Amino acid sequence: MWYDFVNELRRIFRDPGVTVIFIVATLAYPLIYKAVYWNEQITNVPVAVVDLSNSPQSREFLHRWNASPDIRLTHTCTSMAEAEKLLRDQTVHGIIYFPRDFERQLADPLGQAHISLYCDMSSFLYMKAIYLSCNQVMLESMRNIQIDRYEQMGMDKEFAWSLVQDAPYTETALFTPTGGYGSFLIPAVLILILHQTLLFGICMLGGTAREENLDQYSLRSLLGRACAYFLIYYALATVLLGLLPRLFDIPHVGDIGDVLLFIVPYLLAVIFFGMCVSVFIRNRESGLVLLISTSLIFLFMAGISWPKEMIPDAWKYLSYTIPYTWGAHGFIHINSMGASLIHTNGFTASASTEFIALWILTGVYFLMACILFSVRKYRLLEPNSEK
Amino acid sequence: MLIIFQNIWRVLVRELHMMFARPLYLFASVGVMLLSTFFFLTLMKGGAAEKMPVAVVDLDQTSISRRLAHEMQATPSVDIQLITNSYPEARAAMQEGKIYGIFVIPDGFYRDLVDFKRPQMDFYVTNSYTVGGNTAYKQMLTMVNLTSGAFQREVLRKKGMTDDVIMHRIQPLTIEGHMVANPWGNYSVYLVSTILPGILGLICLMLTIFAIGFELKSRTSHAWLRAAGGNYTVAMIGKLIPYTFIYMVLGVGCHVILYRFAGFPVYGSYGRLMFGLLLFILAMEALGITMIGLLPTLRDALSIGALYAMLGFSLSGFTYPQMAMLPPVRALSYIEPLRHYYLIYVNEALMAAPVENSLPNMLALTGFMLASLFVAPRLHRALVYMNYPLK
Repeated sequence: MWYDFVNELRRIFRDPGVTVIFIVATLAYPLIYKAVYWNEQITNVPVAVVDLSNSPQSREFLHRWNASPDIRLTHTCTSMAEAEKLLRDQTVHGIIYFPRDFERQLADPLGQAHISLYCDMSSFLYMKAIYLSCNQVMLESMRNIQIDRYEQMGMDKEFAWSLVQDAPYTETALFTPTGGYGSFLIPAVLILILHQTLLFGICMLGGTAREENLDQYSLRSLLGRACAYFLIYYALATVLLGLLPRLFDIPHVGDIGDVLLFIVPYLLAVIFFGMCVSVFIRNRESGLVLLISTSLIFLFMAGISWPKEMIPDAWKYLSYTIPYTWGAHGFIHINSMGASLIHTNGFTASASTEFIALWILTGVYFLMACILFSVRKYRLLEPNSEK
Repeated sequence: MLIIFQNIWRVLVRELHMMFARPLYLFASVGVMLLSTFFFLTLMKGGAAEKMPVAVVDLDQTSISRRLAHEMQATPSVDIQLITNSYPEARAAMQEGKIYGIFVIPDGFYRDLVDFKRPQMDFYVTNSYTVGGNTAYKQMLTMVNLTSGAFQREVLRKKGMTDDVIMHRIQPLTIEGHMVANPWGNYSVYLVSTILPGILGLICLMLTIFAIGFELKSRTSHAWLRAAGGNYTVAMIGKLIPYTFIYMVLGVGCHVILYRFAGFPVYGSYGRLMFGLLLFILAMEALGITMIGLLPTLRDALSIGALYAMLGFSLSGFTYPQMAMLPPVRALSYIEPLRHYYLIYVNEALMAAPVENSLPNMLALTGFMLASLFVAPRLHRALVYMNYPLK
């Protein structure tokens, strides 16, 4: 077993293809992703204005809205057609439209004024930036109008205020208060990178060994190789999940010790999962060609970017068999939201469900790998079966 | 002239033999594409996030606070999974990923409301799951405003006003939101429309590299060139025709499924959108040739190709807009063919823009094809001399 362990390490580092996937891709990818999602929030989304009322009230509204960091009023148009062309050319990503009767409706104590907002739907985030910031300004303006109207009715100002603002509120984003898109996606991507590079690398090594007719299907070899992968990946995971978040301002509110303990069953489960898959790979390269698309499927199936509650049951149960699903959720719970690994007392959160699930997957895939390996070994011993 | 066609035919027949001898080719193209299409079309029930789990921390425990929770439960976007009087319990549930938002109704809420003391509501959301967190956030914000409105209505009713008059007092200003080209706010429309062509492009790239690189690896490139009468161009054309045919069929099939059967909107020109997809497929094939030409070792070209194409999904900007990226990253996005296909998709399917808008992107995709011509001498030499390491 010691021999298999050392031999596998030697094969990994003498094989540039595997080194690229294991080391270079694993270290370079997180940095590239951090660079892509550097800005977290989307700000200054360009918006066109069509103001047919041309009133002090609409100008006041626009002035306040423009102060929001989310959007920037870049174009003033005289007609909707003109603004629509800007939207179509992707010069602006939203249009705000004040109808002609805007001022009159506001002045009328019984009137109701309308604003129309058109959002470019080519990205979900445009709509979020435009709509939420506009809504905020609308609510503020509305309070002022309401107070004016109540005062006209003869209420005293104090009372009108309390009436309008009867339920003030605070909103708090927990755990990662400034977090945006990157803070959400990058932790999930870090776990995915470990999963997929390990999977591709193991398939590549397995395929190569098969091309060279190496005996790789003994229990001794299985354990020795697993140790080699684990050693390399534990070091890589420490850098990816421990060091990089602290260097590059990726969320890391959790306890580093818990993270380092949590990834033990995660890496083991992925290693044995990868070994099971590698049994079906004939050439060193075919694994990458066949499995590259699984990166997207695993990411979506796990219910990270699309909520897990909205995923049909069949896919959800299938996702439970993939180590990534448990690894990603567990890591996010510990690292991004500060859950601990095991329950301590009372109302403390823990990632123990994911932790246990990963140990179960480790056991299942280890047994499955043993079975698949002995089947293959048996087939190899049969003289006429392979060719 | 005739001899050229005969040679192309000979290479093509040779390629078909190779293709059917190894299950990998059909499996990695048709199999993967069918699986991905099925997966992404069935993944998002309805395409809009509904019934996102949240918790209500009810410290007030009065009829009014219970009614508030009840009304929140009646909305389509959230589902109250937990009603508790302990904030730590709700916070722990959030840390375990069971809920996306917490709505806190303070102690003495009802009493303060009656006394005009302005009780404060607090809500908490998580950013670690963005769709769930956002949906919960929007709904809780709406709840606060509705509560405010409901309260005003009660007070004004007591003052003897009719509901009609009250309505305009409470809501003197409204915003009508229009979601251009996707009025249902359907998440799967943006996602699937770009991801599926992206996966097809990924397949084109990887299999093109594999089909050419495998000849180098198995030292069969001489036989290949011989079948083509020693002509590099003939060899390439003959080899790539069957694959291109498969990709085109997959591309057309994918569009028919998305825009005919799944009912995704196309407001502009159907034909130009399809043309854009075919250009994208050819650009990805050409990129494959460029990569195996620059790195004539199969595994290097495949590893680099995989890294390059996977980045395309982020850089194309269909989830996180390109305008929010740093300038150097933004520049990088233009060397991803998927970025150009995505822009053609936005122009044709969503914006119904005139042809001038898509033209630059179509030209860019053509540029990827032309770029592959520059590696021709190098790749030709590699095929002749086979002077690269095998693995």
